[in-house]
Amino acid sequence: MPRIRLCLRWGEIEEFSNAKALKGGNALQKGNIEAKQGRAGWAFVTPATVMIFIMSFYPMVEAFITSFRTGSSAAMKWANPFSFNYTRMFQDKVFVTSIGNTFLYLIIQVPIMLVLAILLAQILNNRHLMAKGWFRTMIFLPCATSLVSYALIFKSLFSTNGLINSFLVNLHILSEPYNFLGHPASAKIVIILALIWRWTGYNMVFYLAGLQNIDYAVYEAAKIDGASSWTTFWSITVPLLRPTIVMTFIMSINGTLQLFDESVNLTNGGPANSTITMSHYIYNNSFGTGVANFGYASAMAFLVFIMVAVLAFINIKVGDTRD
Amino acid sequence: MKKKVLSMLMIAAMTGSLLAGCGGSSGGGSDTGSTSSGDSAEEASSDDSSAEGGDNSLSVYAWDASFNIPALEAAGEDYKNNVDSNFELNIVEQSASSDVENAITLAGSSGDYSQLPDIVLFQDHYFHKFNVDYPDAWLDVDDADIDWSDFGEEKLSYSMIDGKHFGVPLDNGTVVAAYRTDILEDCGYSLDDMTGITWDRFIEIGKDVYEKSGKYLVSMPADGNDMPYIMLQAEGVSQFEDGQPNLTDNETVVKIYETIAQMINENVLYMPNDWTGYTNESIVGDMVCGVMNGNWIIPTIEQVADNSGKWAITSMPTLSGDEGYASNGGSSFYITSNCKNPELAKDFLAKTFGGSTETYDNALKNGGVITCCISAGQSDVYQEGVDYFNGQPIYSDIVEMSSKVKPIEQSDFHYSLRNNTDTAIVNMVNGMAVGDALKDAQDQTVFEMGGN
Repeated sequence: MPRIRLCLRWGEIEEFSNAKALKGGNALQKGNIEAKQGRAGWAFVTPATVMIFIMSFYPMVEAFITSFRTGSSAAMKWANPFSFNYTRMFQDKVFVTSIGNTFLYLIIQVPIMLVLAILLAQILNNRHLMAKGWFRTMIFLPCATSLVSYALIFKSLFSTNGLINSFLVNLHILSEPYNFLGHPASAKIVIILALIWRWTGYNMVFYLAGLQNIDYAVYEAAKIDGASSWTTFWSITVPLLRPTIVMTFIMSINGTLQLFDESVNLTNGGPANSTITMSHYIYNNSFGTGVANFGYASAMAFLVFIMVAVLAFINIKVGDTRD
Repeated sequence: MKKKVLSMLMIAAMTGSLLAGCGGSSGGGSDTGSTSSGDSAEEASSDDSSAEGGDNSLSVYAWDASFNIPALEAAGEDYKNNVDSNFELNIVEQSASSDVENAITLAGSSGDYSQLPDIVLFQDHYFHKFNVDYPDAWLDVDDADIDWSDFGEEKLSYSMIDGKHFGVPLDNGTVVAAYRTDILEDCGYSLDDMTGITWDRFIEIGKDVYEKSGKYLVSMPADGNDMPYIMLQAEGVSQFEDGQPNLTDNETVVKIYETIAQMINENVLYMPNDWTGYTNESIVGDMVCGVMNGNWIIPTIEQVADNSGKWAITSMPTLSGDEGYASNGGSSFYITSNCKNPELAKDFLAKTFGGSTETYDNALKNGGVITCCISAGQSDVYQEGVDYFNGQPIYSDIVEMSSKVKPIEQSDFHYSLRNNTDTAIVNMVNGMAVGDALKDAQDQTVFEMGGN
């Protein structure tokens, strides 16, 4: 009589002696449990939801309102004309430069990084590779360093009396130290190198996880059919990894458009604003140079938000295989 | 059961820490302990509330443990010994001057000034802008018992608004042109050859020195380049006219920027990328034979013990060849609107930084802070020769030079303009025409000024 025992366990016994009553009782019980679980679920979710609303959504709404206001942050008034901050940013040469810089990082760095990540993942997914756990850890390790400290390390590496210059001068590749961070083109390259170093391993981990979800039998079948590893990669790995690729693309685009630490700590936007990013300029307009122009900064932040949303949307549409 | 107890404990701990984090200011209050330099930010809030309770205590924000904090400690001791033995000064150390600026921005934006200390040390160039933006954050000190004529006119212009005094000056930003006399001598020059010369002559000497010794005559960071400002102040010219930036139409300004670009291109002026490069690489790293900046740069020069006795200071070159005097940086004390006892704060500032030789002597000895107070600069301590500068009485020399600095038009957008001219200088060095680069800088500054 397992059913009765179950009932007993739930502590409501005597009156449910006949089968019909037992059945009804069970239904009642089930409802209670569901309600109880539901309540427990809400109890767990509510604090987080309330926090997100207070800490994220409420500030977002406030920032949106602020983006239509101007003046000292102690006494802000509505902008006149209403869209003043939004039209203003397109006449702002530095902001336009910062958009250009950010997109340059995006266009050059993201593809290089993702291709490298997928190649590394492919290599490290080899079953016969020795010490692959060690290799994986090594490649992922840069992600464990803090953004500020790695930016400062790159800064000292590429400074005029830094390690890279010492190497190049001692190997007679350069006759005298080159000021990498003092020239617009080389400063941009250093930032891109730093970004690749920092984020490749991070994306590789996603690809590795994706690759491990692909059945090895598929590859064996391809081998039996005589497919070269190149064909295997393009016809099997890439299509099957598509969801992961889309995800890493969106994350990288999102991350690059919001790039801040590298610009601030490696070059401080210089030389001559040639490496400044959008987020860095937004920060400068709110705290950086004591200007405290919060209305304008919020408006620029919303433009970044729209850019991220649009690019992510395009990416999802392009990556969607369903017709 | 055990698990339940444990999880309850953890929840309690988390909520507890959350509440403690948010409500820090309501706690504390009895912590009127010793004069505490080096307080963490968390302790700051309890110091604030202690200021509310105590009748004899004041809290102050300052940021440099080797410079202005020793000066404040000296003032606190002075007031305690000579005026009120129950007086307590709580010095709350900030990690940088921008922390103080951000504290004002935060308080002003939220309209809640209750977290501010009684007194803040504030950078001179920023005060006007912050006074315009957050007028409710400040109390004037106009009726404090201070002989204002004892201070240089130029210094007071930063802390005065509509003829009203808001601040009490702390340090003197007078520019020194410091040179390594040993290197100059090796190259065939003396300190006199560097005094009262034109910039053209300066460039000639600089090229020669670079050729003979491999050292640059002077350096300035690409990011935060104060060279144009101090060179122009020595000429008595401002980059602003009637509140608007005036670069392209002002012949002197254009000439100065041309000179700077020429100095960089001819290896007379070394331009490291940033401030750390300026101090650590060029000055401490011994790449230069001269330093030209506010006298607060002297402790940085003195970091190289090997070069003791080899330095000397003099005035700046100018376009005409007269001796040039300028001032760069420096800060003053301001009373915030959150001050619970403004009379005590004014009395404290008046009887210490308002002209007390005891305060200023100890501030100089312990922190290297040079006064802007003319009478305090005549004390014996100021007349002493400094070994590092080969026995030259640099402090009295600096105080004397400070009286010759000409006031020029200041602007709330001083640092905006500096950012934009930094860009212009880099562009000039990379080949852009001086006029075009200056026009860009001027346009961008005008643009930024139209933002609020």
